[in-house]
Amino acid sequence: MASNRTNPYIEFDRITKRFPGVTALDEVTFGIEAGTCHAVVGENGAGKSTLGRILTGIYDLDGGEIRMDGRPVQLVEPGDALDLGIGMVHQELVFCENLTVAENLCLGSLPARGGFVSERKMADRALRLLSAIEAEMNVDTPIGELPVAQQQLVQIAAALGSGARVIVFDEPTSSLSHVEAERLRENIRHLKSKGVTSIYISHDLDEIFRLCDVVTVLRDGRHVATRPVAELDRPALINLMIGRTFEAYFPSHVDTEPGREMLAVENLSSPGRFEDVSFSVRSGEVLALAGLVGAGRTEVLQAVFGLDPMATGRISVSGRPARIRHPIDAMRSGIGLVPEDRKRFGLVLSLRVEQNIGLPTLASRSDFGWIRGRREEDLARDYVRRLSVRPDNVRYDTTGLSGGNQQKVVLAKWLAANCPILLIDEPTRGVDVGAKSEMHALIDQLAHEGTAIVLVSSELPEVLNLSTRILVLRSGRVAGELSREEADQGAVMRVMAGV
Amino acid sequence: MRTPGTTVLPMLRILLGSQQTGLILVILLLGAVLSVFAGYHVDRTTGELVNNFLNSRTLMQTATDASFFVIMAVGATMVIISGGIDLSVGSIYALSGVMTAMVLRSMDLEGPFAVVALAVLTCVSLGVLCGLLNGLMVVGLRVHPFIVTLGTMWVFRGVAFVASEAESILVPQPLTDAIKLSFGADALYPMPMIIMLLITAAGAVYLSRTVMGRHIFAVGGNVEAGRYAGLRIDRILVGVYVVSGLTAGIAALVGSSYYGSASCADATGYELYVIASAVVGGASLRGGRGSAVNAMLGAMLIVLIRQSIRTLHLDQNYEWVVIGCAIIVAVVLDQVNRRLTARRLAGAGAG
Repeated sequence: MASNRTNPYIEFDRITKRFPGVTALDEVTFGIEAGTCHAVVGENGAGKSTLGRILTGIYDLDGGEIRMDGRPVQLVEPGDALDLGIGMVHQELVFCENLTVAENLCLGSLPARGGFVSERKMADRALRLLSAIEAEMNVDTPIGELPVAQQQLVQIAAALGSGARVIVFDEPTSSLSHVEAERLRENIRHLKSKGVTSIYISHDLDEIFRLCDVVTVLRDGRHVATRPVAELDRPALINLMIGRTFEAYFPSHVDTEPGREMLAVENLSSPGRFEDVSFSVRSGEVLALAGLVGAGRTEVLQAVFGLDPMATGRISVSGRPARIRHPIDAMRSGIGLVPEDRKRFGLVLSLRVEQNIGLPTLASRSDFGWIRGRREEDLARDYVRRLSVRPDNVRYDTTGLSGGNQQKVVLAKWLAANCPILLIDEPTRGVDVGAKSEMHALIDQLAHEGTAIVLVSSELPEVLNLSTRILVLRSGRVAGELSREEADQGAVMRVMAGV
Repeated sequence: MRTPGTTVLPMLRILLGSQQTGLILVILLLGAVLSVFAGYHVDRTTGELVNNFLNSRTLMQTATDASFFVIMAVGATMVIISGGIDLSVGSIYALSGVMTAMVLRSMDLEGPFAVVALAVLTCVSLGVLCGLLNGLMVVGLRVHPFIVTLGTMWVFRGVAFVASEAESILVPQPLTDAIKLSFGADALYPMPMIIMLLITAAGAVYLSRTVMGRHIFAVGGNVEAGRYAGLRIDRILVGVYVVSGLTAGIAALVGSSYYGSASCADATGYELYVIASAVVGGASLRGGRGSAVNAMLGAMLIVLIRQSIRTLHLDQNYEWVVIGCAIIVAVVLDQVNRRLTARRLAGAGAG
């Protein structure tokens, strides 16, 4: 295509990056045209984040060359990238949370006179930077108090303010709501109209079709294809990513005849979070709680699991009333919670895989307080095999696992606890296509084996795919219930938004 | 499947890279240097030429000096692993020592066994009580443990001061006899060292083999994940301060028996030695990391550095300067090592 015309703006030429035991990138070669939005996709471990980090100078190269405008460039540290006009918007945001928006935006060179910071100049400069991307916010707010979406805007403004002509986005929408994500995409389109080149690293295929011009697919550290998005459709792109056929990845869901009622929640309320929520789940059922961000879905799960001391209402398990004031009460009643945000709530990253899997049941599996190391290891090994966690070494540090595999470890913790009732919150956030479909198959299988499941997910396709019934929450109240037959994306959306 | 070749190499790397090995190597190296430069003296009774450092008496004295720190450091390490800190251990030492000496003096028991039994009971329960108070305040008042134990550091020592009227109180002879059992050797008292090793071993087993121990690591690593896993966070936290108080009580028992008296000024500033020992032993003040054996090695290293100043006849006024620098260097080296490991891990995990 473009090969016999001018050189691309950015050229990756036989880029190689090795980590001990892994070749993260293996002679990756492709080019990015100026002013385009270029997606980089691939499963977890495909090397896409590594590529982004190489371009922004966070990682060194082990081989190959990067050229900009045909000239080789040296990217040894992040400062080099900034000098060349390459900025990055990270998946996890890097700010001084206690400082204001203005202070964060001007942190590199605070406007000062005689050693005193000039508040007015600082605010002016911050507003100017934000107005360049048409973002409006109070620059005197401490940045930690802003929603993630707004923090990302600040990061984009900061990157452009430092003169960036290329911005690398690493999974920017993974922690945003639908509306916020759309607003971010609008901003990226706007950047494109101003000639800024965006490199967009993502799991979310829908997003790529909506936003990007060209897509590069990586698999296992190798370059698979670089094609205009218009030439591809969803199944074709997935095939490129996984090297397998699309059908194999989304198994058809088996409907199990629901059994007896396992969990009944009546008039559950918690001041300021949700009010008068009632539902019940039977064995073999997957009840999805759907709703927009802030509708109170996670909060309901937390209350059922005994994490909300303010919650009132009745919970009964297998027909008997259960008094749940602490997670331990919930566990004794056979309820497990697979929380959202695995790094914050799901895992102790300083513990090994086996130690994390054993944590909730450590006391009950011990002999008078003594840990049976062998028993713990066997248990962990069993679940690591069943959920095909990679690497399959239970002595591995949890920090070193990819997102999808960390998520599997969190699930394994609660499977190992043998809970007949599982509350699962956002099980596939930030995991790749392969891990996502594995997770779906697992949830399916659990329901099939008779577990009663309450599922919270922000992804409607996931909700529709997995659930037997859908309970829609809106502003902390039950807005409606839909059966699997009557539910489609439009119908659920309408109830969620209240139109 | 694994072949021998693939397991031996990583194991060797783990062994060489482990902090424990590093500490042991540094201690041995320092010991060797000391032995070479210490010089010799002639033993008056036997007429033999004796190394000024490498002789049983000096070595035993160094180990005894270390034992008081080590016993306390085992408990303090648990507090640090849980993400807290205990500044009051030196004061708990003084309070338990003084009160025990006073109780023993007022009771005036017959028979050495009764004396030792009562001393153990009183000293240990006082330590536990002080630790319980710390723990309950940390959990109940939701105040940072630094503040709580900074307060009790002064309160406990103040109580000891008032109770003893600032006087040194003699400890009954049977206690001193018990701790100075020499098992036939001439003027060598290995009991403090034996107790130190036992406490360290107990601490190591507690941390690595019991449910409570694992819970301490989990809470220090990520409180939220612990809460979501159904751990009783409050009980676990109270527990670590109780253990820290307990070890301070045991150290007080050993120390006051060994020196023959207890005073409210005992163990002043020990809390910092104890925290330094844990940290030199690789404990992270952010919680989630630490080890009883490493804390023991850390304490030994610090005491050895102190000893070397004496043995080499360096100006003793520089003792604190040297120890301070050594602590910073040790922790920096440890962190550099950890950062390298973390970078390798992050690199391998990133997609």
